[in-house]
Amino acid sequence: MKEIVRSMEMPSNKVLSIKEDLKEKIMQSEDAVFKELHTKEKYIEALYIKTISDETVIQDYVVKPFFEITTAERFLDYLQSHPKVKPFENEEQTLEELIRGVAILFYQDFIFIFDSKVDRNNSVLDTTVETTIQGPQSGLSESLPTNLGLIRHRYPETTLKVESTTIGAISKTKVMILHDEKLVDQDVLRRVKEFLASVDIQMFQTGEQLLDLIKKSNRALFPVMLVTERPDRVAVNLAAGKVVLLVSGSSFAVVLPTVMKDFMASMEDIYQTYWVSIFLQVLRYVGFVTSLILPGLYVAVTSYNPELFRFQLALSIAGSRTAVPYPSFVEVVIMLFMMELLTEASIRLPKAIGPTATTVGGLILGQAATEAGLVSNIMIIIVSAVAISNFVVPINAFSFSVRIVKYIILALATCFGLVGVVLGFFMFLAYMVKLDSFGQPFLTLVQTKSSKE
Amino acid sequence: MNRYFLYLVILNMLINVIIFIPKILIEYRYKGAVMGVLIAIPIGIGMNYLYSHALNKFPGQGLPEILAHSKYRWLVNLHLGSIQIMWFSAGLITLLGFTDILSRFVNPEMPKLFLITIYLAAIFLIIQLPTKRVMYFLEIVLYLNTPLIGFIIYKTLTSEFLSWDSILEVGTHLFEKPSLKAMAAATYSFSGFTNLIIFNRVIKERLKIWNFIIILFLGIFNLFTTFFIPIGFHGSDGAQEYLYPWISTSDSLRLVYSPIERVLYIFLMFYMSISLMSISIHWHVALELLKGTFKEKENKKKNWMILAAFTCCAFAGVLFLNTVLLNKITAYWMILLLGVEVITVTIFFLWARRRTA
Repeated sequence: MKEIVRSMEMPSNKVLSIKEDLKEKIMQSEDAVFKELHTKEKYIEALYIKTISDETVIQDYVVKPFFEITTAERFLDYLQSHPKVKPFENEEQTLEELIRGVAILFYQDFIFIFDSKVDRNNSVLDTTVETTIQGPQSGLSESLPTNLGLIRHRYPETTLKVESTTIGAISKTKVMILHDEKLVDQDVLRRVKEFLASVDIQMFQTGEQLLDLIKKSNRALFPVMLVTERPDRVAVNLAAGKVVLLVSGSSFAVVLPTVMKDFMASMEDIYQTYWVSIFLQVLRYVGFVTSLILPGLYVAVTSYNPELFRFQLALSIAGSRTAVPYPSFVEVVIMLFMMELLTEASIRLPKAIGPTATTVGGLILGQAATEAGLVSNIMIIIVSAVAISNFVVPINAFSFSVRIVKYIILALATCFGLVGVVLGFFMFLAYMVKLDSFGQPFLTLVQTKSSKE
Repeated sequence: MNRYFLYLVILNMLINVIIFIPKILIEYRYKGAVMGVLIAIPIGIGMNYLYSHALNKFPGQGLPEILAHSKYRWLVNLHLGSIQIMWFSAGLITLLGFTDILSRFVNPEMPKLFLITIYLAAIFLIIQLPTKRVMYFLEIVLYLNTPLIGFIIYKTLTSEFLSWDSILEVGTHLFEKPSLKAMAAATYSFSGFTNLIIFNRVIKERLKIWNFIIILFLGIFNLFTTFFIPIGFHGSDGAQEYLYPWISTSDSLRLVYSPIERVLYIFLMFYMSISLMSISIHWHVALELLKGTFKEKENKKKNWMILAAFTCCAFAGVLFLNTVLLNKITAYWMILLLGVEVITVTIFFLWARRRTA
């Protein structure tokens, strides 16, 4: 009689072969663990990778109960009812889960998948890129479940739908697609999913890579997705009916579709009073236009149409340029190039040396260059105005694009003068109108969605 | 979208400064221009109303789509063809006129061919956009420029050099026999509605009556400013001396406190974008009609061929036409345009009535 019971408890051949298979595929790594536990009535085997599994979880929820629960049936019940335990589906999927940190339990004739993933990097980070004076100061973390939790916390709606997919042939990065079922535009959602399915990449580390991937398909000069580190921005955008992507291991969320208005909006606009936020918006747009056309305008005015300005101003510009031995566009290109180098250097430099570089570069170089008669004083003012106004644009990816566009306008101004500046600016606007982000026009005057016609 | 209709009409009202209308009107100021303008207003409004009313029966469709199933293919082609030639030449005249202005007032040393290339580049970028996007862009351009227009008109009307006596003097020639040329030129201000041929695609609802009331008042105001303000500035006799009366008018204004002292530059910068938009709208219509004429599928090669043909016409125009010739041609072209418009509107109105009755 006892022999029969024993044989019923013994794993079948199928389970044995799966076990051997999994062991063979995984055991050559140093950190893979295969453990057997025995008591008088029962035994269990566990297979996991210790570097990505939380061993204390296994200790607490598997090992301890195993020795506390005496009978074999009771322990089986325990395992089957435990929330962290999933039943086995197929070998391939199990292997997939194994290398993400779950433990595989072999008990009697059953195989269980026990969720023992260790969640590192789940600490919430402070915002560093999109800082505000008021309002929430914490950003997203680098852990997917924590991020989802943060967003759910800020967006407690039952209509919030979360789907997930993986991107990357090697990295197999988990990507979550969040949207509010009630508000989202189904067409946009479909396009986003199509886009994600079409992404062909080996290593997918962070949402910013998508910007690059979509660029390769249509060579957009501007980002058509917004990458943000702020959970409050994510929540606001969800409420506006947008789709949000969360990428495992990245503390940035991607918001789709994004239009010009989103790039010019800072979260601070919500946290300020009405007139202040209007003022800030206007300031940003003025800064944006300034950084675009000022270098071109300088070339056009000094080299083509000095009579544009009233003559006192024209004279003082010309006067400051008397010592400069080359045409205005060379002057502008030199100074802009210097400024770009400074900007790049101050990003790359360690925090401790950063200020030194900007002081040396900005103040001393600028001063010396004017005294040496290489550039005019007014040029220095213009270059600094361009540099500063460029950073008024709140979203970094967008301000980088703007940095490039000003050279195009500068080139047009060099060739065509004032006409080049004006037409260059309008061509740039037309280009932005032409762009679309997952079916939404990038730039329109009235950027609220029109009622369904 | 009711406002889109308004934009199209307003754009034509703005552009008439470039397309020699003040010049033509001022030329006939003692010989029936005043009466011509007065007659042009009801004609313009009437055509606006009839045509948009007829097109309104086909919401969201352009003329090629509406006529796509017609049995008389050759008639459709003739109809679309004549409109598209008119509309292409409208854009061409604006382009040539404005290039001439630019080379006179902004870049006198630059060859005109060089100037026109950047215009063509910008235009080709815009006309290939989908119709809806062209409309969005027009909206942005108009909103960016409206404050400037308002400011300049305010400045002219409040200027101490505006002589109301001269204006009244020309006004006394009210009962002269109306001149056809002047009348045709004045109706151009209202003929923005013809763009609806294609742009009806973006207008999905019925046009409300206030559109036409606004057009009536704007049109009267617009014709008044185009015609009388240069006369007020340069005197009833002196106004004739200028090739571009309005541009010379803007050059007689001065902003005392602004870093840009001469209004001319503000005016020209504003017209750079407005004329860009006007040419683009006209050529977009021409391009879409061309696409509609050939029933086959769009292909890139054909598209490039059309654009190349446009470029050739523009270059030929720059090389062979001078300002005076262009001015003369435009005066007769206006009459032709008025004729084509009247015929088109009548035929289409009757056809639409029979079709939907």
